[in-house]
Amino acid sequence: MIGRKNTLREIAAGPGRITFARVSLYGFLLLAAISWGYILFGANSGFADLVSERAWSNAWEFVRELVGWDTGARPAYLQADRWIETGKLAYRTLAMSVLAIGFAGIGVFLTFVPAARNVSDGSLGGRPSFAGGALYHALRVVFAVTRAVPELVWALVIVFFLSPGILPGAVALGLHNYGIVGRLSAEIVENMDPGPARALRASGAGNIQMLFYGILPQAMPQFITYLLYRWEVVIRTTVVVGFVSAGGLGREFRLSLSFFQFTELALIILWYLILVVAVDLLSAWLRRVVRD
Amino acid sequence: MIWTETGPTRSKARFFENRRLLSLVLAGALVWSVASIDWGAGVVHTGGARALKDFVLALFPPELSPAFLRIALIASWQTVAYAVASITLAVIIGLPLGVVASGTLAQSSRSRIAAVAGVRFLLAAMRSIHELVWAVLFVTAFGLSSLTIILAIAIPYAGILGRIYSDLFNDVPEEPLRALRSAGASPLRVFLYGRLPIMLGDLLSYSFYRFECAIRAAAIMSFVGIRGLGYEIQLSLNDLLFSEVWTLLLFLVALVLLVDYWSTRVRRSLAT
Repeated sequence: MIGRKNTLREIAAGPGRITFARVSLYGFLLLAAISWGYILFGANSGFADLVSERAWSNAWEFVRELVGWDTGARPAYLQADRWIETGKLAYRTLAMSVLAIGFAGIGVFLTFVPAARNVSDGSLGGRPSFAGGALYHALRVVFAVTRAVPELVWALVIVFFLSPGILPGAVALGLHNYGIVGRLSAEIVENMDPGPARALRASGAGNIQMLFYGILPQAMPQFITYLLYRWEVVIRTTVVVGFVSAGGLGREFRLSLSFFQFTELALIILWYLILVVAVDLLSAWLRRVVRD
Repeated sequence: MIWTETGPTRSKARFFENRRLLSLVLAGALVWSVASIDWGAGVVHTGGARALKDFVLALFPPELSPAFLRIALIASWQTVAYAVASITLAVIIGLPLGVVASGTLAQSSRSRIAAVAGVRFLLAAMRSIHELVWAVLFVTAFGLSSLTIILAIAIPYAGILGRIYSDLFNDVPEEPLRALRSAGASPLRVFLYGRLPIMLGDLLSYSFYRFECAIRAAAIMSFVGIRGLGYEIQLSLNDLLFSEVWTLLLFLVALVLLVDYWSTRVRRSLAT
């Protein structure tokens, strides 16, 4: 019978060999130990606070206030007009998420083909050019920068330029997702079967024909699927971006929190969960349509 | 739009029907969302165009004085420390939940269905709330501390990791598993010698991607008062020091690219 240690070692490398994967494993463990040390023994780790009785009684108090237990007033989530009022914000939040994915989708659709290495270096049958190579590198840098910066930081920057509302939030979310989906979509083209494109090129297709018959038909379903997956992420983040860009449920969330209207906060969380579940279901349905 | 037909058995008529429906739904959604922007108030601030110009020009060059680079380096370390601590906790919570949610270890079908349903629901609940919302709730309930923040990141990330892990464990091709079973291996052994090693590369690559996301999550935790890159970005933005903002953004980009490169190298090393 094979021992467990032996098998896993064989997976990670040949027996006894020093490989990058193994060095990485030890490196990561060391990094984790140092990080945990820094957090647990650094300033205000709060471990003692977190397990203290006072913290738990505070937390219990907070939960009671969220539910609106014996506060006298009727909790917001039992009032129909509060549901309608916050429902309008939920509607705007949903619009923001669709707009964000729309921005990201249009941006990526216009740029993902030249950002694929096999297109720019001519291995799909085109002729490599200096301009094509430069465009490839420029797009990859743009993808990296937009992807690395979180939505919320983009939103902080963008509220300097755009009036408050759903637009700055959507632009911020769109920028970040442009980087993520752009890179993934360029990789679709890089990983696709080069056969059809080469055959087209060999039979004399021009660049435009190559694009429409050789590349897009293979790449589109996967591209749309990625967009739908990202939409599920975006709807969760829309609320957070609303904190700073003053649009939709996020703004109301922050206001309720700072005015200690905790049952209102509970109502907003309920709407948030409704949106998340609805978008997950809708996206799953649309992805099935794409696949079929 | 142009699509490819994915399955050879698919009927042509149904395919075109779906394609048209999908295009219509997507275009309709976009039109609706554009229409719901509040156009009346004016899209750009008064002075917004100038602010945008200032911001873009501030990139040439970013703030590179040694004193500020020191600040950026320390902030990067703080962000990395929070990200590493969060992702380790998320993997520790998410891996066992993912194994249970995949339903590959349970023997009888009834306990299997109950475990899968229960844990899947738990994972969905964990990941449906954004890490910053968790953080705001936790800080309100427990007070601000490093551990509340790490929990706030680890909970939704464990939810996502658990779900992806369970999907990966279920995607293992049947043949090698059948071979193990016919050699008399128990479900646990089938898991350890079959599912786990076969999916190791994909598991690692997704975990690395989540590590990259955790760096961003740790950076935005400045909103609830945690030091790090996001905190410094907020300070510099408040003082309208855009060239400092760019330096910090570039540090964030460098961190993400570093993790990305690390992940690629590890996967390549595993493949050989």
